[in-house]
Formats: sequence, structure tokens, C-alpha cells
Amino acid sequence: MKRKGLMILCSILVAVWLSGCATMEASKKVPYRLSPQGTVIWEDEFEFMPPPPNWKLLRVEEGGDINFGFMREDPGPFPSATVFAYDEEPFGCSTKFEDREKEFFKRFLFNAIVQFQILEKRKIQVLGGEGLEVVVEGKDPVKKEKVRAKVVFGKRGERVVGFYITQWRPMDGSYDLSAFEVFDKFVKSFKFLKKSFYETL
Amino acid sequence: MEGHQRNLSLYERFNARVLGVSRDDVTTLKYWGNGLGITFPLLSNITGFLGAYFDIQPEGKPIFGRRTVIIDKTGIIRYVRDGSPDFKDILLFLKKLNQEGGKP
Repeated sequence: MKRKGLMILCSILVAVWLSGCATMEASKKVPYRLSPQGTVIWEDEFEFMPPPPNWKLLRVEEGGDINFGFMREDPGPFPSATVFAYDEEPFGCSTKFEDREKEFFKRFLFNAIVQFQILEKRKIQVLGGEGLEVVVEGKDPVKKEKVRAKVVFGKRGERVVGFYITQWRPMDGSYDLSAFEVFDKFVKSFKFLKKSFYETL
Repeated sequence: MEGHQRNLSLYERFNARVLGVSRDDVTTLKYWGNGLGITFPLLSNITGFLGAYFDIQPEGKPIFGRRTVIIDKTGIIRYVRDGSPDFKDILLFLKKLNQEGGKP
């Protein structure tokens, strides 16, 4: 069919393919308010149950893939820490969860160079619709470190969004699964208070 | 690039097409594009003349800088931004251009 209307050619010049990775740091300005119910209203766009006070807030200062998250330093030697986050643009492009999961794990924790083993994968209800939850463990036998992670894919409009938690430990350390319960409460409580930019275009 | 891939259906809505250009060779781009699931064209410009044309070739360096350029159907450059693409800004601009194009 002959296309009508304006034809626009976009030339995207890119050479530094891997530049522009998101960086996170603890924020001094927190664009949120607390509701009477104890939930957090984030930039009038998201509502969620916050983690306990020993979790530090993380947010991207400009651009990037991760909107915000929380971090907790765990007892024990490096790299004992847990981070969880909401991700508006998780790695990958597909809008089908099964395909997105494969794309996502090609890049997830890429710099750590760990081989992931899927421990559990199941369909769930999240964000008022169908979603996919994947629990993985990755090990680095050279550094003698390991990480347990859970990734939850859901939909915001037609686009896939994600939540993830990573818990790093020395290889002989034990995981603290109570942190995953905090993450689960965060995900379960998460709501969109308005349509996304993409839904309003 | 992944962000552009996610936005392809929106670009389609605004009658836009996206191309990626770099100085990598064709084989490298194919491997890279397949790995990311990129379906739009990636152009290999190993001689770098496009970098000179778009003023994005740093002197003495073998790669292009990162720049987003939008060219309208008449060939006029309408949008130039350096650095990582601001996808929301790009989409709003394309929406505006598309609306302009629909006017008599």
C-alpha cells in the first residue's frame, strides 16, 4: 500500500555503541511524598510500598535505563549487598515476555561476566495483568562470587517494564531470602498513577 | 540502538524510518545487530565520509561521535542532538513533524 503523508528519514549516527550506560548513585533530592496509607507517591507517576529504612534510595540523575531502586549493604565480606529496582526500559526489545527474557539475560549484569542458571520461571499476575517471573543464580568461579537475582517482567501499555533484585555474596556465603520478600512486597504494591509518555503520544 | 528498536512501531506511526551508521565493517554490524535483535538498517561507513559530512568525525579518531539527526522528506536536516539519544524528545519532534506534514 502506498504510504501517504510525510516521509521522514532519521539518520542515527552512532559509533560509541556501548557508551551511555546508566549510572546510579544515592540521591539527595527525593521527588516523592508519602501517602496517608504509608505508600510512596513517586513523581505523581508511581505508587509503591517502600522497603524498611535500612534500604538506601538509588536513582538515576539523568537519562539511563533504571528509574529508581533501593540498596542494602548486607553483613559479611564484599560483595555482600542487595539492590532492587524498577526498570522502565529493561534490556531487550520484544514485547513478548518469553522473548524479552532471553534478550534481557544476554545483557543483565553483563560486566560481571557470570553464567546464569535459571532456578525458577513462572507466569504471574503483576501490574494488573500477566507477567513473567524468573529467578536465576550466577557464579563467578574466578572471583569466587555469586549472585542470586529475581526479575519480574510486566506490561505498561504495550511496552514491557521490569523489576529486578540482585543479591551478591562471596561464593561460600549464604543468601538472605528475606530481602526477596521485601522486593516481592514492593512489586506487588507497585501501581501506575497515570499513563506513560508512550501511551499518551 | 535498542531504544530505537523498541520505538519502531511509534516511528512507523509518525512516518519515520531509522538508520544506524557507524565505521564498523558489515560483518561486525551484522553480528552486533543480530545480538541485539535490531531489525532496522545499520550502515557501514568504514571510510568515514558520512562522519565528515555530518561533522561528527573527531580528528585523529577512528570512530564517529554519537549524534542523532532527523532529515525531513525534502532532505532538510531538522534536528541534531549529540550524545545518547533522548527518545522522548525524538518522538515528540517526529510527532510534530508528522503533524506539520499533514497540513495543507
